[in-house]
Amino acid sequence: MSNGTNCYHCGEGVLAADKNKYKVYIAPEEREMCCPGCMSVAEMIVGSGLSSYYEHRTDLSPTAKQLVPDELLRLEIYDDNEIQDEFVYQDGEIKEITLTVEGLSCAACAWLIERSFRSTKGIHFINVNATSNRITIKWIDAQIKLSDILKRISNLGYSASPFQADQHELMYNKQLKSYFRRLGLAGLATMQVMMFAVALYSTWFGDMEEMYRQLFRWVSLIVATPVLLYSAQPFYSNALRNLRTRTLGMDVPVSIALLGAYTASAYATMTGTGEVYFESISMFTFFLLFGRYLELRARKKTSELSANMAKLIPNMALRVDKDKTEKLIPTKQLEINDHVIVKIGEVIPCDGTIVTGETSVDESMLTGEFLPISKTVDCGVYTGSLNVEQTITVCVTKTHKHNLISEIIRLQNTAQSSKPQISILADKISRYFVLALLIISAGTYLFLLGHDPDKAFWITLSVLVATCPCALSLATPTALTCATSFLSQRGILIRKEHVLESLTKIDEIAFDKTGTLTKGTFSLTSIKSDNALQENELLRIATSLEQHSTHPIASAFKSNIEKIQFDTTENHIGLGITGTLGDDTYKIGSSTFTKQTSSKSDGKEIVVYLIKNDHLIARFYIQDEMRENVSVTLDYIASTGLDVTLLTGDTENNTNKVTDGLAITNKKTSQSPERKLTYINQRQAEGKLMLMVGDGVNDAPVLSAATVSVAMGEGSDLAKNSADVVLLSTDFIAMKYMLATATKTYKIIKQNLMWALGYNSLILPLAMSGSVPPYIAVIGMSLSSLLVIGNSLRLLK
Amino acid sequence: MEIIFMLIPIAIIFVAIAVGIFFWAVKSDQFEDLEREGSNILFDDDDNNNESAVVKPVVKHDN
Repeated sequence: MSNGTNCYHCGEGVLAADKNKYKVYIAPEEREMCCPGCMSVAEMIVGSGLSSYYEHRTDLSPTAKQLVPDELLRLEIYDDNEIQDEFVYQDGEIKEITLTVEGLSCAACAWLIERSFRSTKGIHFINVNATSNRITIKWIDAQIKLSDILKRISNLGYSASPFQADQHELMYNKQLKSYFRRLGLAGLATMQVMMFAVALYSTWFGDMEEMYRQLFRWVSLIVATPVLLYSAQPFYSNALRNLRTRTLGMDVPVSIALLGAYTASAYATMTGTGEVYFESISMFTFFLLFGRYLELRARKKTSELSANMAKLIPNMALRVDKDKTEKLIPTKQLEINDHVIVKIGEVIPCDGTIVTGETSVDESMLTGEFLPISKTVDCGVYTGSLNVEQTITVCVTKTHKHNLISEIIRLQNTAQSSKPQISILADKISRYFVLALLIISAGTYLFLLGHDPDKAFWITLSVLVATCPCALSLATPTALTCATSFLSQRGILIRKEHVLESLTKIDEIAFDKTGTLTKGTFSLTSIKSDNALQENELLRIATSLEQHSTHPIASAFKSNIEKIQFDTTENHIGLGITGTLGDDTYKIGSSTFTKQTSSKSDGKEIVVYLIKNDHLIARFYIQDEMRENVSVTLDYIASTGLDVTLLTGDTENNTNKVTDGLAITNKKTSQSPERKLTYINQRQAEGKLMLMVGDGVNDAPVLSAATVSVAMGEGSDLAKNSADVVLLSTDFIAMKYMLATATKTYKIIKQNLMWALGYNSLILPLAMSGSVPPYIAVIGMSLSSLLVIGNSLRLLK
Repeated sequence: MEIIFMLIPIAIIFVAIAVGIFFWAVKSDQFEDLEREGSNILFDDDDNNNESAVVKPVVKHDN
């Protein structure tokens, strides 16, 4: 139990037993820590003279994990040149790497890491970016090793690892910088041109000498030219691309309006007749660029976050050679008939058969089956499953290329091509609108050419400026940008653009069970005493016994209760534990192990029996824990009229135990990855649009095939990489937020489009009749754009 | 009034300089991590205090 004080470093409660055990002097007093990990990190920070970190941090530090020697050994693998090839950039003797860091919570953390490396020999350059959680390091390999750098960072309490950079990210970075330059230039120039424009507007009401008017016009021309030539350049290249592919996008009328207005204004300036529109051109460019910039920035942020998740941890295997020497090698180098040692808690690196040892293996990543399966000599094990109870030796039967997980990845790649495409509303509207606009402008020009050739050009131009599709082109991107940033603040990452709109068209939602609806961890739901002993006392005995087991069920018994020291304990793999205390023998475990018959009333959960000297003294009921708010969210989904299907690899019996009483229309149990995929494809062939929510490797193919897919943040990397949306929060209510925001976004996009179209169709006849003075056209256009932006901003609330 | 023939070009030159500085700032990554740099000045000021913080515990044990 906590004694009321919290760890000064990470904020965890300090156990009563640990009181005064871990202390570090951080000015002005001794501070209490919760564990040796936090203590050593704090000592390291103070010892390096960096204690002002504690004054300036705005958030608590991550709880420090001490790396066991085994993990430290694994870091050394990163020194291997072959492995470094994947993520290290070398320039002469200087190597450069970008790492993603976990636990970086505020600017003080970034400073701490930078400072602790500043005077290190061999470190050439270090930059910590607290916004993107990245560290860029340049170092000289002869003086310091990459593994030493990683160890230093982990000594500070952070965990850094190389990662798979999103291919788009580099492109976004470059684009974003160039957009930012264009935006800045447009902003500065707009301010200037506006100032001169105000002076020019005043000539509508008063008098100004022609000399000064010409000066203002010429100056406006000079300042607006770089905006038009440089800032607005992305619009032209997009328009050209559109024309080349024979489609009409928003950029076509934008470019025509910009170039037309500029040419006319330049002509007016040189000849000294007609109107100039330099301020409209500059402002319009600025607004449009701003919208695009925000959109791009939101997209970069999500690609950054998802790249941070795709950590590059080279999979290692401990190979035993004929002469009994053990060697850590990359799994890629494993060959058939190699023998590999897999320790407790490690991931099995290859498909193979067990040669020595017996254990239980957690294959939930592959099958969705959450209880570990007992395996002994000659049983087959698969890559990616987790060795739970005992060290085993495995003989490799399939090479890296042909193992089960690679097969699933192949299945996923083929599934991707069957994904249905959804056309986006704004695209459709803009295409028709643009076409209509161009026809009307051309019509006006031709008509006027016959009737009033003097004014033909000027009126056509004012038609283009007044109906300038500014608001229309801002309608969708601003709404999507606001919704995306609103959702990412709540731990919902939108990875693909189409998602928010596609979500509103979904007909059916399919969920995986283990790890998606449930947490995939066990928790104790109730204790039934079959003896006079108190629950507390029973729990104490059970917890003390279970701490000797690594079986996942044992994790349900983790508590801060004071443990009993047993004289002897013995772990029976996959069955239970026995312990002796004085003359008494205790046994805890499954019904077969404790020779109990499971009675009918025990139906719903997993039962663990506790026996004392052959007498049953207690039953513990354990369940795979549901995520928070699952039933609330499913009720909400049902209320929106969507069908809910459960697609699980688990058996019907287990599924019913957990999901009874939830609003699920349709349950499909014992589904293999192929069968899940067949189901989704079949439904989509019937014309239904599917949303798939999953987490495991076995869900990856379905996630790729579904119209929209959502992966859980704790899920496998493969699932996250195939999903359109990643839910970082563990609370299931995020699903509800996502669906509700999508609906709201769609509504706002429609409102924006309605307004933009309404305004344009109102001003169009006026402009065509030549009765809209330029300043009214400009004010109308700006107000209309501001209204659209304001409406979209409502999504942030 | 003729003075504005002089003043406006000067204003334009200033704008050009501002644009130049802005481009340079973007190029040298000054807008990459806005959160971080804002508080950097606080940390570097405290360099001297840190050393005293390390010395203090020693003094304390001597008591």
